[in-house]
Amino acid sequence: MVELITLILFFFALYTIVSLSLNLEFGYGGIPNFGKALYVLTGAVVVGGILNRLLIWYFGIEGDFISASSIAAYKMTELISQNPLLGLGIFIFCVLLAIVAGAIVGALSILPSAKLKEDYLGVTLLAISEVVYLILFYNTEIVGGYYGVSTPDILAFIPGEYRMYAYTVLGLICAIIVYLFLERLLNSPYGRILRGHRENEDLIKAFGRDVMKLRVKTMAIGSAIAAIAGVIFVFYSASVVVNAFNRVEWTFYPFLIVLLGGKGNNRGVVLGAFIFVLLKMLIDFYKFDIKYLLHLPFEAVWLQYIIFGILALLILCYKPEGILKERPIFTPPIKSRINE
Amino acid sequence: MIDVVIGAIVWSNLLVLLALGLTMTYITTGVPNFAQASFAIIGSYIALTLLRLAELHPYLSLPVTFILGGILGLLTYYLALKPLIKRKASIEMLMIATLAWDLILFGITGAYSELLSSITKKTETLFVFTYLDFEFYGLPGRLIVSSLLVLLTILGLYLLLYKTKFGIALRASMENPSLAEAMGINVENTRLFSWFLSGALACMAGSVLPFLQEIVPQTGYFIIVSIFAASIVGGLYHILGALIGGYIIGISESLFTYVLSIFLGPGVLVYSKVISLLMMIVTILIHPKGITGTELWRKVERWLNL
Amino acid sequence: MIKVEKLNSGYGKLQILFDIDLEVPKGEITTIVGPNGSGKSTFLKSLFGLTDIYSGSIIYEGKDITYTPPHEKTKMGISYLPQTNNVFTNLTVRENLRIAGYILERDEVEERINFALEVFPELKDILDRKAGSLSGGQRQMLAMATALVRKTKLLILDEPTAQLSPKLAQLIFDKIVELRDSYSITPLLVEQNAKRALEISDIGYMFVSGRVVYGGPAKALLNHEKFQSYFLGIVGVEEC
Repeated sequence: MVELITLILFFFALYTIVSLSLNLEFGYGGIPNFGKALYVLTGAVVVGGILNRLLIWYFGIEGDFISASSIAAYKMTELISQNPLLGLGIFIFCVLLAIVAGAIVGALSILPSAKLKEDYLGVTLLAISEVVYLILFYNTEIVGGYYGVSTPDILAFIPGEYRMYAYTVLGLICAIIVYLFLERLLNSPYGRILRGHRENEDLIKAFGRDVMKLRVKTMAIGSAIAAIAGVIFVFYSASVVVNAFNRVEWTFYPFLIVLLGGKGNNRGVVLGAFIFVLLKMLIDFYKFDIKYLLHLPFEAVWLQYIIFGILALLILCYKPEGILKERPIFTPPIKSRINE
Repeated sequence: MIDVVIGAIVWSNLLVLLALGLTMTYITTGVPNFAQASFAIIGSYIALTLLRLAELHPYLSLPVTFILGGILGLLTYYLALKPLIKRKASIEMLMIATLAWDLILFGITGAYSELLSSITKKTETLFVFTYLDFEFYGLPGRLIVSSLLVLLTILGLYLLLYKTKFGIALRASMENPSLAEAMGINVENTRLFSWFLSGALACMAGSVLPFLQEIVPQTGYFIIVSIFAASIVGGLYHILGALIGGYIIGISESLFTYVLSIFLGPGVLVYSKVISLLMMIVTILIHPKGITGTELWRKVERWLNL
Repeated sequence: MIKVEKLNSGYGKLQILFDIDLEVPKGEITTIVGPNGSGKSTFLKSLFGLTDIYSGSIIYEGKDITYTPPHEKTKMGISYLPQTNNVFTNLTVRENLRIAGYILERDEVEERINFALEVFPELKDILDRKAGSLSGGQRQMLAMATALVRKTKLLILDEPTAQLSPKLAQLIFDKIVELRDSYSITPLLVEQNAKRALEISDIGYMFVSGRVVYGGPAKALLNHEKFQSYFLGIVGVEEC
């Protein structure tokens, strides 16, 4: 039971980070980022593709990438178990690298369609994300593809039975930092312009603001944050398997969370992430029981897809504003007027 | 080499059928349907089911697939989109709805493939029809059937849209729904027609697809980019765009894969999607309305008197 | 013919028209003028049912049609021709005319089309051309011809002479007069070309900021001080 709760909290942290970043882009900025999974995957590539290569080079390991990665990851894990600072250092290094890589990938991927309508934006972002995913999946040379590669365990200095709690705490700390950062960001002039852009593009143009620049900037910030989640996820599972970064899990589910919680409301999104992860983990955890209880002639995961798909349609139809509605932003002048 | 050309034409034909539906529903409903590829995979499984349980050859079951596919298209509109359109939902919300619908169809396909396996006691999660294909004067059946499907579809559409009152009304509603409404035309019929046809054509394409490649429930994720690339390169605002885009994308993908396989060996199919993506991005950068949205095309159209 | 009382309407939360009272008598030409953004076009849309109506009433030939949907109004003999997009550009002239008679019986359509072509003989030679390739004047005439096919009784025109040369504009005005005189159609128009439009009109209305500031004989409006101050001062410059 404790294990299940920890698992729920860990994925709650991950989905909170990704969904908050999507809320910035979609909820506040109106960008339908149907390529979200790509930016989480970027974080995974930073660890599996870049860190692993650095380690292989550092240890001077020969052989193909996948087996060399296993050896490098093993050696590094050994070193970390002796030296906690090394593990944390690698984590921070990867997070910083993921922020840079995520920002670059995010900005680049929106460039082709940044000036166009929402439908073209959504289609292009989805197409880019799908193609990159497919290549990384089928080409096992880049980050191991469908075989996957091992990565070092950055918390190897903590005894095995407590390590999962430690990862959960790490994830939650990151989620809190992201939340506080976004709240500050959205209450700045940038946040207000972003909402204005969603309501009326022409209005922003009239104020002399460049819509394209605003979208590129928003995508860069959002993608950088999503990449952090990718890094945490990879270190937690001590491996990169590309399948784990598919469109359903990291694009569709974050959208479901944002809709469920209330788009344009970060507190709502956190609540949405919690409800969603609770549901998902319960289905995952009890999938064999569900299968046998209902005499399903198929795996419960298919049922999970159908349920979450229907849930999304129901929300769209009956509660499109979500559980918590968007709050108006109170600028200091408005606040003082209300108080009068 | 001849196999490459045949493969390229078959794949292009199927892309045309898939992109036609995408373009038509985009014109009438204003939403890019992310579930279009799943339509095709459902078509594949309908054909498989009829083969296994009714011993009907996939080519012979095409009329049944057509009708069932049409019903799937209508269900998509009625269940996923119409309730939202009535509530004046934004385009983003409609797009999310088609993503959600895509996930539901994916779940159903996956569950069904395992259910079918338990009925037939065979593995049905992965299958091909290639062993069922016939030859006619040395030409493979998939080439003949898929080409005939495209020809019949285009001919049928032309006769319908240009020679019947209903068709003129359809074209009128696609161009300017509010004016069409003012003329007393029921614009809703246009939508129903386009969704029916979209599902029907996609499912037919899907039942020919296993003659060309392996099908798994995830295959939809593999072909969705090609369909969108075809519609966008050809032009999302013109039905003929799907025809042009389908051939451009289908042939480029196949030839690119062929050239690449000479240098890198087999297993390069996935890189054909890079070509589609690049062509789509270039179109979006230069002329988002695609080939049928250009001035040049307008001149061609005038010349063809369409 | 049509009588509007205390009409309040707009789009969603944005109210544009306030307490509009207006009457269009049968067989007379009524023209609404007013500066940009005064709600003239919105008023025509409200008549046809394309806006949100909050209160008030619209009575057409004794029937309350305030909340009647547009396609029903078409059947009742009301035609609304928007300023732009009033024909299907991808359809030929012939197809446009045919589609205009969508709700009629097949035999009747041909009859009505022939009739419309008699009124607009200019269209006879271009029947197989796409409407998108027509000139502005031809397009406007096609739009009016489609209204004839539909057996229109009340013809609502939103700036029919916008972007036309003075000569073509005069032709359109002449046609409007002809429609009234020979075919007993009642025209109601909104015009930016205010002076010329009022000259052919019987009744004139002036809107400012979503309210009626004048309603009465058209000739009197021409000399009204409010009209002079708005149009000869502001629009006069625009027209140059």
